[in-house]
Amino acid sequence: MFDYLEKQLPRLIMAPTALVMLVCMYGFIGWTAVLSFTKSRMLPQWEFVGWEQYERLFANPRWNVALDNLLIFTSLFIIIALVLGLMLAILLDRNIRNDGALRTIYLYPMAVSFIVTGTAWKWILNPGLGIEKMVRDLGFTEFEFRWLVDSDMAIYTIVIAAVWQSSGFVMAMFLAGLRGVDDSLIKAAQIDGASTFRTYWHVILPIMRPVFFGAVVILSHIAIKSFDLVQSLTGGGPGYSSDLPATFMYAHAFSRAQMGLGAASAMVMLAGVMAIIVPYLYSELRSKKT
Amino acid sequence: MSKLASPSSLSRVFFITVLVFFAFVYLAPLYVMLTTSFKGIEEIRSGNILALPNSLNGSAWVKAWSSACTGGDCYGLAPYFWNSMRIVLPALIISTVIGALNGYVLSQWRFAGSDFLFGALLFGCFIPFQVILLPMAKLLAWLGLANTVVGLVLVHVIYGLAFTTLFFRNYYVGIPSELVRAARLDGAGFFAIFRHIFLPLSTPIVVVSVIWQFTQIWNDFLFGVVYSGPGTQPITVALNNLVNTTMGGKEYNVDMAAAIIAALPTLVVYLVAGKYFVRGLTAGAVKG
Amino acid sequence: MGSIQIQNLTKSFGDTQVLKGIDLDIKDGEFLILVGPSGCGKSTLMNSIAGLEDVTSGDILIDGANVTDLSPKERDIAMVFQSYALYPTMSVERNISFGLKMRKLPKAEIKKTVARVAQLLQIEHLLDRKPSQLSGGQRQRVAMGRALARDPRVFLFDEPLSNLDAKLRVEMRTEIKKLHKRLGTTIVYVTHDQVEAMTLADRIAVMKDGQVQQFGTPYEIYNNPTNRFVADFMGSPPMNFVECVVLDDKLVIDSQGEKFELKVPNGESLKQAGLDTVVLGIRPEMMTEPKPHSSSSFIHSIPLQVEVVEPMGPDTIAFGQWNGIEVQARLSPEAGVEAQTSGYISLQVDTSKALLFDIHSGARVN
Repeated sequence: MFDYLEKQLPRLIMAPTALVMLVCMYGFIGWTAVLSFTKSRMLPQWEFVGWEQYERLFANPRWNVALDNLLIFTSLFIIIALVLGLMLAILLDRNIRNDGALRTIYLYPMAVSFIVTGTAWKWILNPGLGIEKMVRDLGFTEFEFRWLVDSDMAIYTIVIAAVWQSSGFVMAMFLAGLRGVDDSLIKAAQIDGASTFRTYWHVILPIMRPVFFGAVVILSHIAIKSFDLVQSLTGGGPGYSSDLPATFMYAHAFSRAQMGLGAASAMVMLAGVMAIIVPYLYSELRSKKT
Repeated sequence: MSKLASPSSLSRVFFITVLVFFAFVYLAPLYVMLTTSFKGIEEIRSGNILALPNSLNGSAWVKAWSSACTGGDCYGLAPYFWNSMRIVLPALIISTVIGALNGYVLSQWRFAGSDFLFGALLFGCFIPFQVILLPMAKLLAWLGLANTVVGLVLVHVIYGLAFTTLFFRNYYVGIPSELVRAARLDGAGFFAIFRHIFLPLSTPIVVVSVIWQFTQIWNDFLFGVVYSGPGTQPITVALNNLVNTTMGGKEYNVDMAAAIIAALPTLVVYLVAGKYFVRGLTAGAVKG
Repeated sequence: MGSIQIQNLTKSFGDTQVLKGIDLDIKDGEFLILVGPSGCGKSTLMNSIAGLEDVTSGDILIDGANVTDLSPKERDIAMVFQSYALYPTMSVERNISFGLKMRKLPKAEIKKTVARVAQLLQIEHLLDRKPSQLSGGQRQRVAMGRALARDPRVFLFDEPLSNLDAKLRVEMRTEIKKLHKRLGTTIVYVTHDQVEAMTLADRIAVMKDGQVQQFGTPYEIYNNPTNRFVADFMGSPPMNFVECVVLDDKLVIDSQGEKFELKVPNGESLKQAGLDTVVLGIRPEMMTEPKPHSSSSFIHSIPLQVEVVEPMGPDTIAFGQWNGIEVQARLSPEAGVEAQTSGYISLQVDTSKALLFDIHSGARVN
């Protein structure tokens, strides 16, 4: 009898987690999905209206701004973070004995909350007293830096703050990747007469492709989920000019009593994440199997 | 370090300059926060963000901690600091323990469906939490845990499990299964093997898991803002409220002091055990 | 005390059947070796005996009692693993005593047992060290010590010597043999090294593709293999296999265009079976330089054009071709030199122990 129990122990141990996953992940996703097909406003109302909420969603000007912003934000964020992270990683790899201190400095922003980041940058980019004043004090009396309160530019402030926070992580990933490159490959390239630049371009960087992909996947994931940073840095403003899907969802699901609409926006966010993650995971697990 | 030819002295100077330049750029916000927090309001308005404070005026800090207004109440950040502690510590302990056992099972005791379960967990690490926000609110209400610290602990445990399980599982697959077989022949059962063999080997990954969970949960805002009520808010929510509450003039020095207070625990953890922190990040990045 | 009967054992992993009906009768105190190429199922069989793997069907009996459904703990078996599997965070002493501790034996008895085993294996000075501080040979001894301390009914050894360097391997082989003589406990030993198999075993089970090809003493396996696979597997250098045309009750060998007829034992069975071609199996030591010998009808003189020679020390292997197939002959070192310089040797071929195999199935014909 005890033997049977002992054999079942692994299953028993996993059972609570499995149950929790089932309910709190997949069950909840289903619930939200169903909700997105209903008329719900302040409270869930189980009256089905088909794709109406989605139609409303994509006709909503604020949502479209949020989507545009997401595109701008994500692409800039990823590109700048990749370039910066790669550059710093290469420089560190080429050089230094005391890179421990430098690495610590590049990475510490990741340790703090996005709220802290947003608060700090909100002050730094303060229209009257922040960078603008600092540069003016240096003599450039006509300098203007009012992006925070400029509806066209507000989204870019989020890019700046996000890059500051996350590029250290990209650097760490690339540095680990660079350090993992087999020395004998580099020696072979040297014997073949390649210059440093060409060694990087033709030999090292191609090996780093998986790291690139990994970084892109993680950065896009961070970008799509961005909520905290927007709330603290711009509040989505001015108006809703720096809104992102996550803040849209929160606003409509909770403050504006539009549960059905909020649910629909959440499902769209999920679809976006899945479109990136599923192919990536699939290819990763496949290559591990072979 | 790559075995590429060492850069020439000139290039080397250039590289180091670039690296140091960026070091300053990364440190700049911290510098600004610190200096601003020690300035008086007049000094802030007349000076600029890069200027050092005239004197170290700590009154902003005192106010941030004990009397600043965070929305309706004006108790400073102190009560919310302790709220966060009361949320983080139980949540990280519980999710780490369960994650360890789960990782142990998934790595050494395969059964029908265990691979599928692992895949489902892995996927769960990626979902945007917006899709569970609404139903979880219902669940908490149903359990009578809406707007409570316990409720937040529960939420963080549930959504931290996927990560901790992943960490431990990836670590434990590195332990040769022959050890488990030898132990079974020696007569050790499921828990005995865990206790005598796996646990003693687990220090590195426990540290990674604890640091990761501490940072994630302490820094969380989304769950905090949705599932807490006045009095049970974590420090991130309180900070956001503090900064966005403008009663009278804006007190930037208090805002900055408050931000640093909110950031301190995770910064300290990072400085003390940063090595493990990085390992946790890159371990999470190399999935599968 | 430790007899094992394996009855019609099958084991499948999903759709793949790894063990296809194993029947073995292992006597108490016997040193049994499971040998075969990778993938033949020997490790799976070993793990099934230990109880580390469930069986799909069939029975395992130890001392007559059916243990098929018992957990490893209850079977009273100890195992030495290929990678030793020493508990990395425990000292040598704790490693050895772990199993005894799990069985809740009294502390005093555990201490005595550890001391006895350590003395037997000469590892007393290592008791406080951790596995990472030991050499390969020392770890091997500790692994054996752990098994010995349990005083089980059966010892299982899973390729315990493959991770050691050649010299150490030979040393440890002798130690294991001495240990077996001293303890008299049943040993089931897995290896892919047929030299180990020949030197250590009381009986050998040669496995291929999940089945036992032959089960017998080293002598039987070497001299009377049941099929071509077993004949090929055991013996170094390996047996020569030459496809020959059958002429009445003799075989035809073509060496550089000249044809020779070989008389073989039980040649009449060829006529009866009505075979046109058959595979001749003859060991290199049966093909030597001419020796002063009482002639028998099984001694033939057949030339060999030598392509290359390999001096081994006590003898030299000469490579050539018969019937278009490469064959190896064992020559004395002097004959080997001669063969190399002249590129030719007239071999004395003794077919008294030659074997005949079916050209398609590989089964023994004589």
